[in-house]
Amino acid sequence: MFFLTSLVDRPVQGKTGEPIGKLEDVIVRIGDPYPPIIGLVVKDGRRRFFVPATHLQSLNGAAELASSIVDLAPFSRRDGEVLLRRDVLDHQLIDITGRRIVRVNDVQLTRVDETYRVVGVDVSAQALLRRLGPRVLANRIVGRQVIDWNDVQYLASTAPVQLRVSYDRLADLHPVDLARIVDALSYRESAEIVAALDEETAAETLEEVSDERAADLFEGMDQERAADILEEMTPAAAADVLEDLSDDVAEQLLARMEPEEAADVQALMAYDEDSAGRIMNTDFVRVPATATVGDALATIQSLEEVPDPLLAVYIVSAADPDVLRGIVRLRSLILAKPETPLLDLMDDDVPTVRPEDRAEDAARILAEYNLLAVPVLDADQHLLGIVTVDDALAVLLPEIWQRRGARAAFA
Amino acid sequence: MKTRLRRAWPYFLAVGPGLLAASAGNDAGGIATYASAGALYGYGMLWAMVLITLFVGVVQEMSARMGAVTGKGFADLVRESFSLRVTTFILFTLFIANAGIIVSEFIGIAAASELFGISRYISVPIAAVFVWLLVTRGSYARVEKIFLGLSLVFLAYIGAAFLAKPDWHAVFRQTLVPHLRFEVGYLHLLIALIGTTISPYMQLFVQSSVVEKGVTPDEYRYTRFDVIVGTLFAGIVAAFIIIATAATLYPKGILVTSANDAAQALEPIAGPYAKVLFGLGLLGASLLAAGVLPLSTTYVMSEAFGFERGVSRTWEEAPIFMGLFTGLVLLGAVLALIPGLPLIRVLVGVYVLNGLLLPIELFAMLRLVNDRELMGEHVNGPVYNALAWGIAWLVSLLSLALIVLTVLGWFGVGPG
Repeated sequence: MFFLTSLVDRPVQGKTGEPIGKLEDVIVRIGDPYPPIIGLVVKDGRRRFFVPATHLQSLNGAAELASSIVDLAPFSRRDGEVLLRRDVLDHQLIDITGRRIVRVNDVQLTRVDETYRVVGVDVSAQALLRRLGPRVLANRIVGRQVIDWNDVQYLASTAPVQLRVSYDRLADLHPVDLARIVDALSYRESAEIVAALDEETAAETLEEVSDERAADLFEGMDQERAADILEEMTPAAAADVLEDLSDDVAEQLLARMEPEEAADVQALMAYDEDSAGRIMNTDFVRVPATATVGDALATIQSLEEVPDPLLAVYIVSAADPDVLRGIVRLRSLILAKPETPLLDLMDDDVPTVRPEDRAEDAARILAEYNLLAVPVLDADQHLLGIVTVDDALAVLLPEIWQRRGARAAFA
Repeated sequence: MKTRLRRAWPYFLAVGPGLLAASAGNDAGGIATYASAGALYGYGMLWAMVLITLFVGVVQEMSARMGAVTGKGFADLVRESFSLRVTTFILFTLFIANAGIIVSEFIGIAAASELFGISRYISVPIAAVFVWLLVTRGSYARVEKIFLGLSLVFLAYIGAAFLAKPDWHAVFRQTLVPHLRFEVGYLHLLIALIGTTISPYMQLFVQSSVVEKGVTPDEYRYTRFDVIVGTLFAGIVAAFIIIATAATLYPKGILVTSANDAAQALEPIAGPYAKVLFGLGLLGASLLAAGVLPLSTTYVMSEAFGFERGVSRTWEEAPIFMGLFTGLVLLGAVLALIPGLPLIRVLVGVYVLNGLLLPIELFAMLRLVNDRELMGEHVNGPVYNALAWGIAWLVSLLSLALIVLTVLGWFGVGPG
């Protein structure tokens, strides 16, 4: 077990201990769970040359080569290869387990069988201090915080060569944590992360990302993919994103979306940003007033996509499915016998809101009446959607959203 | 005509960060420095503003270009390209420069409140708590625009300059003909002018906003337009502050030693309201920067050294981030409360310090912007590079000259 910063700039010795040059950098091949060292960059005067790892006798303390004959081919960069000092040390990585961005203060290497491999990165402040002070004092500073290489995500955009980096580990992060990381990274790094996510995860992540960053990411994306991600987002979140894009781009993206999904989003965009209409959910279960509990359950089970959260079913007039008669909570539905008519369970004294009402007012009604959702009716008393507690929470706790955006505004 | 307009449109859309960054130079310290220059030397420093505006343009342009090409902020690039010791040194000087400016913003708050007859022992602690709460509660973005709006009051100097009926012939002559005086006082103010106009935080800001927006090298020409417009605008406002003070204060021999004196130059346009107008502008500009600077400085330091960061973090999660931010606000407020502090002299002094530290940042920037591995084909061209290096050396020589003259002054040796 040893560390990169104790190796670099130290002399490289040949077989009989004669100096060959100074160790400038260590080359690894990225892609393995623990990237193997495939060579060294050795500097002799002004020349930089490549020494393959097969010539390496020992790397403990200082680099020692097995032979004194080295191929003096000048060093040049190749795809798939990363320089530990130039491209990893002092650069940013994502610590998957810690759910945060870290900066590499040192790189841990070890010998596994015949090859040397990168096994972890040290992100401790002590590692910084060791490198800052004179070498004599370095050994007196104790303490490390090594993160296993398997637990970090290396960003391919860090190195100036083509890399095939696996992003599998990102799937272990919750979309909310991913969103925080996407907000904190620079635009290009965040675009790399989002590009690596599947459409569903990308949608969930982008719903939580600050408005400005989300708009920039969508504008930089391939339009086909952008439209696919928008389809996966809730219509309200998609509407928020499209509103922040330029009109041209928003129109193009809407045109590429599935007509049905695009229509939902466009309907929401007709309402003001802070209105109940904007935050309402159009995905809910309607059941005609003539139905029984069994019918209602069967309807829910037959749905291709069941609304989430599912809090109640909305009883509408059998003649006109847009006229709301009342609601039956999921709780009553489960407890009742299948043959019970829904009208027996129905609560017809439900407060409602208008789509133009302020979102805050909808939230207040939810709190005052202890409801989990409130129906949204238009001027003709037609049922348009529901505002759920989830949607309302975002309105009641705006500071959470504000804070998230704060970084974009300042740094 | 229509197509031409359409082609011009993206340029106007891009106007923003560059304009904001350059205008940020016109804060409490900036006003104090420009007003002092006009009051002490009349139109005699206008020529320097022309050159300094060119310098700002070149430096801001390089910062924006680095952001567009590398997609990374200045501190990131420094940490990733220089050794850790050099990185620490460069960031330490940036930290000192920014800390100085934060102090100057709280002094600005103190000076503004005293114009309204409110003791700074009341206003400064309130402002510090206010700013701290706004930023950590995440509601700063909401009030930011109000502060920015207030600081636009300083545009009144342009009107004041015209109404003061300056000797335009002298103005033009002094603007076009350079003449340097080798005196401590003159050099002192010249370096303060450079320091206030080319502050490191402006470069950090313009580069990071380009990075945040994800501007690509292809779209960069729009950003460059923004940078040029912003620089010209800020330079013109600064020049008019000098003209206004030169036309009103200089003939009467009034030196700018308090905010009250600087406010007097607005009398031609605002009459008896000059003090109120100036006070509001000063308060807005100072509050704006008093919130933004501690936070952005803390972000820069935390990112470069990899500390956990974010205003939504708790003290346990991000102790260094929160500590640094709180410490900077506290430092600014406490220093601004030292009894008997000569406010305007300290303000100018902060920018002298900024000017003295500037060469370090400039040389680091030149190394980075000419690094082919980072910048590819977007490194400086030969002529541009010569200009940029010339600026860096000129600022260094002026700083050195000031240090030498000051030290000689301590031993009672004058240049004659």
